[in-house]
Amino acid sequence: MRRFVLCFVVGGCVTLGLAGVGGAADTAPEALARLDQLIDANDVQERAVAYERIRHGVKGEAATARFAARLPALPPDRQIELLRALADRGDAAALQEIEKLAEGGDPAVRSAALHAIGGLGSGDSVGLLAKALAAADPEKAAARRALVILRGDDATRQVVAALATAPPAVRAHLLDIVADRRARAAVPEFVGFVVDADAGVRAAAMRALAKLGGPEQVPGMVKGVLTAAAGQERTDAERALVTVCTQNPGHEQATESFLTIFKAANDSDREVLLSPLGRIGGPGAMAVVDGLLADTDPAKHEFGLVALTRWPDATVAPKLLDMVAKAPDATTRDRLLGALIRIAPLPDNKLNDKQKLELLEKTMQLCEQDADRSKVIERANAIRTVETFRFVLPYLDEPTLAEPACKSVVELAHHQQLRDAHKDDFTKALDKVIATTKNPELVERANRYKEGKTWARK
Amino acid sequence: MPFDASTLDAPFAALKTYDWGVDAAAFKPIDEAIAATQGDAAAKAEIERRLIALLGPDTSRACKESVCRKLALIGTAAAVPALAPLLADGDNSHMARFALERIPAPEAGAALRSALGTVGGNLRIGMLSSLAARRDAAAVPLITGLLSAGGTTAVAAATALGAIQTPDAIAALAKADPLAGDAVARAIVDARLACAEGLLRHGKRTEARAIYDQLATAAAGKPAARAIELAATRGIVACLDTTAS
Repeated sequence: MRRFVLCFVVGGCVTLGLAGVGGAADTAPEALARLDQLIDANDVQERAVAYERIRHGVKGEAATARFAARLPALPPDRQIELLRALADRGDAAALQEIEKLAEGGDPAVRSAALHAIGGLGSGDSVGLLAKALAAADPEKAAARRALVILRGDDATRQVVAALATAPPAVRAHLLDIVADRRARAAVPEFVGFVVDADAGVRAAAMRALAKLGGPEQVPGMVKGVLTAAAGQERTDAERALVTVCTQNPGHEQATESFLTIFKAANDSDREVLLSPLGRIGGPGAMAVVDGLLADTDPAKHEFGLVALTRWPDATVAPKLLDMVAKAPDATTRDRLLGALIRIAPLPDNKLNDKQKLELLEKTMQLCEQDADRSKVIERANAIRTVETFRFVLPYLDEPTLAEPACKSVVELAHHQQLRDAHKDDFTKALDKVIATTKNPELVERANRYKEGKTWARK
Repeated sequence: MPFDASTLDAPFAALKTYDWGVDAAAFKPIDEAIAATQGDAAAKAEIERRLIALLGPDTSRACKESVCRKLALIGTAAAVPALAPLLADGDNSHMARFALERIPAPEAGAALRSALGTVGGNLRIGMLSSLAARRDAAAVPLITGLLSAGGTTAVAAATALGAIQTPDAIAALAKADPLAGDAVARAIVDARLACAEGLLRHGKRTEARAIYDQLATAAAGKPAARAIELAATRGIVACLDTTAS
């Protein structure tokens, strides 16, 4: 931006900012000449003086273009320094020269140039940046970051448009970038990628939908879950669907949509969808599970049982307690008991600490084997209260349960506030742990806690 | 509602006997009255009068500290005669300066200048600091004389001149050798750079450039003065940048 002062005959003066008019020499020519000298200096501190002024001073596009014109002739390390200064300067007048370096020969210079384009570029830069996504790091990382921070709706449109023609590896990155750009309007354009032939693309599409999706995307995401390969991809896809149904805007409608699909699904699809059903939870899902549990068809009953044992919170605790008492066989009983032990101390299970401990105590009463009792005692340490400590304490004296009790006492003692508030009780208990446990790590931890020290988990 | 001075009788009585460790809430109404009488010169004068009365020898250091904080907000020339004697008192000098620094009346500056010539050690450094904070141009000749005092007093004098930034202050700093290598010389360089930056901020490029050029010339080619040369170079480029606002 150049300044021209027009002085009128009447004596009034008006200052106009005119972009791109005239040459760079009109803009602080002495400063530019001095900066040229400093850019060429061998001393890094002198160059830093120049870069500071390039970042924050000598205003105007002509000056920017003049600085950028220095880039091609500089050695790579100086190119990187000047690229960083020009990026911070934030003037797109440098873009043309920077884009040339982004396709040049030196990888470090290319990375710095790609990084700079992120702050200076527009939709027109997407093609170049998307191409760089196929490169190795750090270029790929620089291009990815640049594509996320590129300004303007046109940049978002160009990123989404690039999805159609990009090779699978690049497409997966572009999907993550679309999500990071919060391009919610683009969701209908990429939801189809959840059933892409490439697993990386499918996974990226589900990740993107987890961030941007709503009720309208649930049918597509269910297809994504069903298409995902069993294992990590399936687990991640389920997690994405559960996020949309439990956390994203419109999650109540998303859950309704999912339940409708679940009810209409065939048995094999239902089997796959049982896991997300249980994780989504809520009254609607519970009604579906109740229906399945009541079904005389053993296969459907089994579906209901699986869903119940995978429930995400303690709202099913009364039902589980009731069913344990009425379990038709030991296997079913073990599964239901395992579910109770799992959900009772969950941090977000909708119970307060007192209720959590009460549920664990009830579960303990139902246990018939030491293996189950051991699990209850170990899970108890997730409820960090003195009442839990007192619940666990007597089991230090039971030979078959002493080891898990030792572990829980030590875990509870790990929390300094709890330990210090009941110091004498904990000291006695830790002494008993030291005398009882065969686990050297527990002995070491108990000794440290007694001395008021911390312990870093390995 | 007109200000009723009698409502402050009890708070002023509490302030008069105040000492550290006692609940200060009893005289909080004085602070509230100071805020409430904004724009009421007569009311403020009455509060100031009652505060001044608490600066005598019969009140505690804690009481005087609290009074000085309040006078910093509403004090006028009327408070200066009561505050000035405290400047030489090691216990109360700091809080007296706290008030005088902020009282806009020229009498406050005069009291600080007067004390500068009579107190020594850290108290004198305190006077320099307060005169710098007031950017007291009339103090420049006195402060200039202390540049040759050496030690921390000279450092404080240089720093004060760097804050005052009048032509006389700039001229006084220019006479000292910036490369003497001691703490005073370093303070003088800092002060000169502060003056140049101040001039540049006010659009006085030529005057600022003169300081930077002098420093750059003095430091050129001397490895021990590299930081000075770089700082001056940075300033010269800033002076040349006519696009900067």
